[in-house]
Amino acid sequence: MSEQQTLAVEVSAVEQITPLIKHFTLSRIGGGNLPAFSGGSHIVVVMRAGAHSDAGRGNTRVHRNPYSLLSSPHRLDVYEIGVRRMEESRGGSHFMHDQVDVGTHLEIAHPVNLFALDKIARKHVLIAGGIGITPFLAQLEDLHHGRVPYELHYCVRSPEHAAFLPRLREREGDRIRMYYDSEGHAVDYDGLLSSQPLGTHVYVCGPAGMINHAADTARRWGWPDSHIHWEQFSAPPVGDAFDVFLARSNLRVHVPHDQSLMESIEGAGVEIPYLCRGGVCGFCQTKVLAVEGEIVHNDHFLSDADRGKYIMPCVSRARCKRLVLDL
Amino acid sequence: MLVTGIKSKPVYAPLRADTRGRFHLMLGVSEGAAPLLRVLREMQSQAPQALGATRVLLAPGVPATGASPAGGGTEAPVHSLCDFGDLPLQPERSFNDVPALLAELRSSLETALMGTRLYLAGPESFIGLAMKIAFEFNLNKDEVRAEQVGTLARRVYCVHCRATTENVRTNIVRCLGCARWLLVRDHYSRRLAAYMGVMVDAEVPGELPPIQEVFV
Repeated sequence: MSEQQTLAVEVSAVEQITPLIKHFTLSRIGGGNLPAFSGGSHIVVVMRAGAHSDAGRGNTRVHRNPYSLLSSPHRLDVYEIGVRRMEESRGGSHFMHDQVDVGTHLEIAHPVNLFALDKIARKHVLIAGGIGITPFLAQLEDLHHGRVPYELHYCVRSPEHAAFLPRLREREGDRIRMYYDSEGHAVDYDGLLSSQPLGTHVYVCGPAGMINHAADTARRWGWPDSHIHWEQFSAPPVGDAFDVFLARSNLRVHVPHDQSLMESIEGAGVEIPYLCRGGVCGFCQTKVLAVEGEIVHNDHFLSDADRGKYIMPCVSRARCKRLVLDL
Repeated sequence: MLVTGIKSKPVYAPLRADTRGRFHLMLGVSEGAAPLLRVLREMQSQAPQALGATRVLLAPGVPATGASPAGGGTEAPVHSLCDFGDLPLQPERSFNDVPALLAELRSSLETALMGTRLYLAGPESFIGLAMKIAFEFNLNKDEVRAEQVGTLARRVYCVHCRATTENVRTNIVRCLGCARWLLVRDHYSRRLAAYMGVMVDAEVPGELPPIQEVFV
């Protein structure tokens, strides 16, 4: 996705809704509707750290973070996103929390849906952990008016961390099942996934451990992969610094320990097509021409057979003396 | 005249047990009992506990050749029921015809839970009708397996009058609904469980290519 395809938006409201989560409302600069989207879509927010601050350090660092749209797909005058402040932020979430306010201009990429509801499902089971509630808020807009049964299981640390709960309660009432870690609540995954009618789909959005546990439990009860859906926007893992050579661009790029391969390549002016920036969609798959050392694959996309030949630069890195990519 | 390589034409593979499933529902029509027995033997060696969660529904007496009831010459059922006796299955059930078997499929799926796998073995038209029901219950490709044995006689949907003509064995057939001569295409609709039939002599009425028996 090249820079030309971004949309210019303005922050029209900011609200701190839990100790860790801020709720941002974005409007098109100059007014008018934003592009249509379906529940489960995300946008990528392009943040130019340094450009907004008056510190004048000179080097602008660009963050591109994906955030689920939580606003109603039926309402296009605004997009709403929820941003959790990450403890070990590489900068993106701290930028959103500390430097973005009402009136700030941001660039966003067009919405993309990698977490859509199955349109012919007979039942939907939604499981959210923390900030993972956001894609479901948009999906519930459609489910609420439909005829397909659904249930939402929402897990948070404690009541004060239950983002968007008033909004959910108002519309969904007791259809939401809340689980508070602080009260010792836990989802009974076996009970939940062993007794669903044929044609049910399960959707999980939350921490990696929660997704893995839910998906493994579903498979253990015989669920086929086509009925198990999950999404997680994890920050690209940090690691050792290394150098990469881009063969077609004839360019050597240094990848610092706290920056992803993709970010570093983008910083050098080479665009790689992407959708999710989370190692899932497969868009940024890049051919490895030579490697002396080891590629650290952090994606969920490449097959074992392809891992010798390709790398997903959005999340994967290398521990190597030499890495040559077909870029 | 037939266009080959049409993607919608179903492709079948020999049935294999999917022991990742928790419940197994197996339907066999005419000679379809034999592949089911093969799958059950495979299951017995790989995951014998799965046999206790397996139901077999058979319509063994349906003529395997697909002779049309109207066409005369119905063959006597030649199939002798495979012996499932030594397998610790849930009791198998026998049905007199495909509609009765499909009605039982529908009522079984109404109460089935996630984790169910469906296995189909028999003539192509039966597989299509059973899959149509399975898709209504949102079973996906990774939950339904089918092996075609017996006749390839087709259900043909007339794209002009929307009538379906059953048990078509020839490349060109007269539509039971509107009496047009239809070319039977490989273009298949899963929703209708039928191949598309398109008027073959629209340009020069009465001028037909040779009619051949091709779906046997």
